[in-house]
Amino acid sequence: MAQQKWRNTLVGWSFILPNFLGFVIISLVPMIAAFGLSFMEWDSFNAPEWVGLDNFERLLRDESTKIALWNTTLYALGHVPLTMLAALGLALLLNRRLAGLGFFRAAAFFPYITSLVAVAVVWNMLFNPEFGPVNQFLHFIGIDNPPGWTTSTTWAMPAVILTSVWRDMGYYMVLFLAGLQSIPREYYEASKVDGATGWQRFLFVTLPGLRPVTFLVLILLTVQSFKVFDLIVVMTDGGPGRATLVLSQQIYRQGIIEGEFGYASAISFVLFLLVLVLTLIQFWFNNRRERS
Amino acid sequence: MIRRVLLNVMLLIAAAVILVPFLWMVSASLKRNNEVFTIPIEWVPQSFQWNNFADIWERIPLGTYLGNTVLLSVVITFLQLLTGSFAAYGFSKMRFPGRDALFFAYVATIAVPWQAYMIPQYIMMRKAGLTDTLLSLILLQAFGAFGVFLMRQYYQTIPDELCEAARMDGLTEYGIWARIILPLSKPALASLGLLTFVNTWNDYMGPFIYLTSNDLWTIQLGLRSFVGQFDADYAMMMTGSVLSILPILVIFLLGQRYFIQGIATSGMKG
Amino acid sequence: MIRRRMLAAMATAVAIALPVSACGSGEEPAANGPVTLSVSVWSLASTPEFQVLFDAFTKANPDITIKPVDILAADYPTKVTTMLASGDQTDVITMKNVIEYARYASRGQLLDITAAAKSDTAKKLGGLDAFKQEGDKYYALPYRQDFWVLYYNKKLLEAAGQAFPTNLTWDQYVELAKKLTTGSGQSKVYGTYHHTWRSVTQAISAAQTGGDQLSGDYKFFADQYRAALALQEAGATLDFGTAVTQKTGYASMFETQKTAMMPMGTWFIAKVLSEKQKGTTNVDWAIAPMPQRPGSSKITTFGSPTAFAVNKNAKHSAAAKKFVEFASGPEGAKALAAIGIVPAYSSDEILKQYFALTGMPTDEMSKKAFTPDKVNLEMPVSDKTSKIDTILNEEHQLIMAKQKSVEDGIKSMETRVKNEVS
Repeated sequence: MAQQKWRNTLVGWSFILPNFLGFVIISLVPMIAAFGLSFMEWDSFNAPEWVGLDNFERLLRDESTKIALWNTTLYALGHVPLTMLAALGLALLLNRRLAGLGFFRAAAFFPYITSLVAVAVVWNMLFNPEFGPVNQFLHFIGIDNPPGWTTSTTWAMPAVILTSVWRDMGYYMVLFLAGLQSIPREYYEASKVDGATGWQRFLFVTLPGLRPVTFLVLILLTVQSFKVFDLIVVMTDGGPGRATLVLSQQIYRQGIIEGEFGYASAISFVLFLLVLVLTLIQFWFNNRRERS
Repeated sequence: MIRRVLLNVMLLIAAAVILVPFLWMVSASLKRNNEVFTIPIEWVPQSFQWNNFADIWERIPLGTYLGNTVLLSVVITFLQLLTGSFAAYGFSKMRFPGRDALFFAYVATIAVPWQAYMIPQYIMMRKAGLTDTLLSLILLQAFGAFGVFLMRQYYQTIPDELCEAARMDGLTEYGIWARIILPLSKPALASLGLLTFVNTWNDYMGPFIYLTSNDLWTIQLGLRSFVGQFDADYAMMMTGSVLSILPILVIFLLGQRYFIQGIATSGMKG
Repeated sequence: MIRRRMLAAMATAVAIALPVSACGSGEEPAANGPVTLSVSVWSLASTPEFQVLFDAFTKANPDITIKPVDILAADYPTKVTTMLASGDQTDVITMKNVIEYARYASRGQLLDITAAAKSDTAKKLGGLDAFKQEGDKYYALPYRQDFWVLYYNKKLLEAAGQAFPTNLTWDQYVELAKKLTTGSGQSKVYGTYHHTWRSVTQAISAAQTGGDQLSGDYKFFADQYRAALALQEAGATLDFGTAVTQKTGYASMFETQKTAMMPMGTWFIAKVLSEKQKGTTNVDWAIAPMPQRPGSSKITTFGSPTAFAVNKNAKHSAAAKKFVEFASGPEGAKALAAIGIVPAYSSDEILKQYFALTGMPTDEMSKKAFTPDKVNLEMPVSDKTSKIDTILNEEHQLIMAKQKSVEDGIKSMETRVKNEVS
């Protein structure tokens, strides 16, 4: 039996190794180095200097970093559930025999591959406080004082979240679509025999069958929300003021722009810990549900 | 029947709305550069600059960039699929101590922002003499937790009994992976392949940092080369963007065909 | 035990992934025989000035060939920082702006070229002061020096029956802009266009009031902000929020004749000249001095130099120095002026050559605008510059987007600089 266990371990590792080896050498080593840097002061050129927890203390005092942390959390709170719903909805809608199915799926995926400059310009135009269609519509339905969206410190974040949901939903739709394929057909047929309604079949067959994929999407979405960078940079560049400043931007500014790589690493480390805790919680929930 | 038509009409309207930014892109690609950003937006160019689509091939060596991008995208996607699905089998169908902890640690590294370790990574690659080669980018992007995580989650939906039965029949674990699991996971492979391909195709920061020689550049670098110190040629950039979307569209249409077994059709009334 | 193992792993990782010690400089024996000099540049294809300089240089030095290291302009500092961190041996590094220069210089990544900066030729270099570092040392020489002037569209002014601007005060400028604003919707023409950069308001007021943007006391911005907001209020300029979010191109605004006036840097001259030659615009333009504060008799504006520096790890430092001196000297200036770039090196001859370019306005006022009495540095340089720059920019957005009043905005600039910059 012990031999069997050994064999299993060896074979198991042999599966993992090709990817893992490449990953450790190329990415894990510099990641650990960055972790080490968070306890040092480094200008990217001269030898790093050990400063203990100074970088973390500074982080607690730095108002911009705190604002970025708060903004990132807000963004994730909006982006994760909304994208999830939109992606799942799209996948269900576009997983049927339908004329022009390829076209509709491609259309849903297009936002993800459209040039970010185009995305920023068009969405900002839609959100324009004076002549944007969004506010014209709000006027039309009787709202006298519609928000200033990307020009307003209060409404910039919701505008960015909406844009990012639009952009990412096609990406996660692809994952859900693949997930829908792996639900065995027999389950549906059995539930039909039992006389389940469409809604019941969705609740008791589709959703449970999608659980591993939903879990995947949830984790990826969480991680990507906390790491959001590109879209914000082109759409608002953190503005107006610091209204949409997020952590990745702050890391970039402190590291590349200011040349304080130790401090930038410390912020990255905090971001990593935060996501780690969230991921752990999700893993824990998922394991419990899988067992039950 | 009527519901079906109605659904199609609604989908068409939704698609049109979703595609608005793309339409702007196409419109900008047919304008003169100083007509791109006008207030308010002009959707139809004053005069159609079809020659943009010819000029861009002279302005930048688009053919070379295209070749490099195709090479990178294909190789990286292939390696991701291969090593990712292979490792995922180890993580989901084999049982050995420490498996779940390792998997968790693996997934957790997705959370480390690239900005944080970009410079140490570059220094390392330079010490290995790999900067300014396409190989550096392949190494950079072919291995990682994303593909493993994705494939592992889909393997979870394949019943373990299938593997057990195959073991009884005397198949090795490698045989089970190749003959049973891989064919069953075509939709998952298609989605991983598609997403990896698109991400590599559109990646900008990686190639920007690692590739210095112009003849190694990718399309995304070519497009950004229209941005100067004080101004930018956005019309050309949009022309290039429109061109660079076409190959992705083909890949997408090829890939998405694996998502049609019509299961949910019988599940939901349509 | 585990902790010790973790520390060991960390130390190994740091050792593998970071330079253990700064590499020694590759000082070479006197440059003899053919040399290939590598020069870092941005967006080579769309920035003709580099090729022009290279051609002139290799013609004068046939034994040296130049290999440009082409880096995209948008993220130039990111890549240069990364390259230099890894001990890259590119010989000449172009300094896109003074703030980045100061950072590389203070880290010891650039070669000391003080001797060249103290030569007689260097005395004629506009903006050289910006490169002075601690201990009266220089690590770069400017080759171009752009400063701000007021562009205007002759046709639009004539149509409105207004005289061409001469020595305007800011109040006169605001009034003129209001009078020049016509139409609405698609056919609206603005009196002037202020681009979204903070310099349009802040750097000019610092230059003209003598205020210091690093001081932490920003009351001197107030007048300029009031003028800018008055223009916006009257609809005489595109409102800030729209300009930012629609990524409005200042070149488009002027070239498509959507604005009658526009304060902008002299780099725009080369652009308009070439666009007119290509036939993509037929704007009939000239320049005037920047508007001044009431009672000032001199023309004060602000500008920013662009420079070449030698990498400390350069393979061919002698040839690299030669190139840096050539580019900033009279020969480089001649080559630059020929394509409409404003060289740092100034002389009557260059000026004459510059105004002889086809398409250049030749009126007296344009020439006067081109020789301001005083050109202040856009932003003074110190180790705090980039932090303060970020703060001033963020608060600038809030004032211009009317999320804060001028007073509140200035107040929070002051408190933030005090609290966040140490």
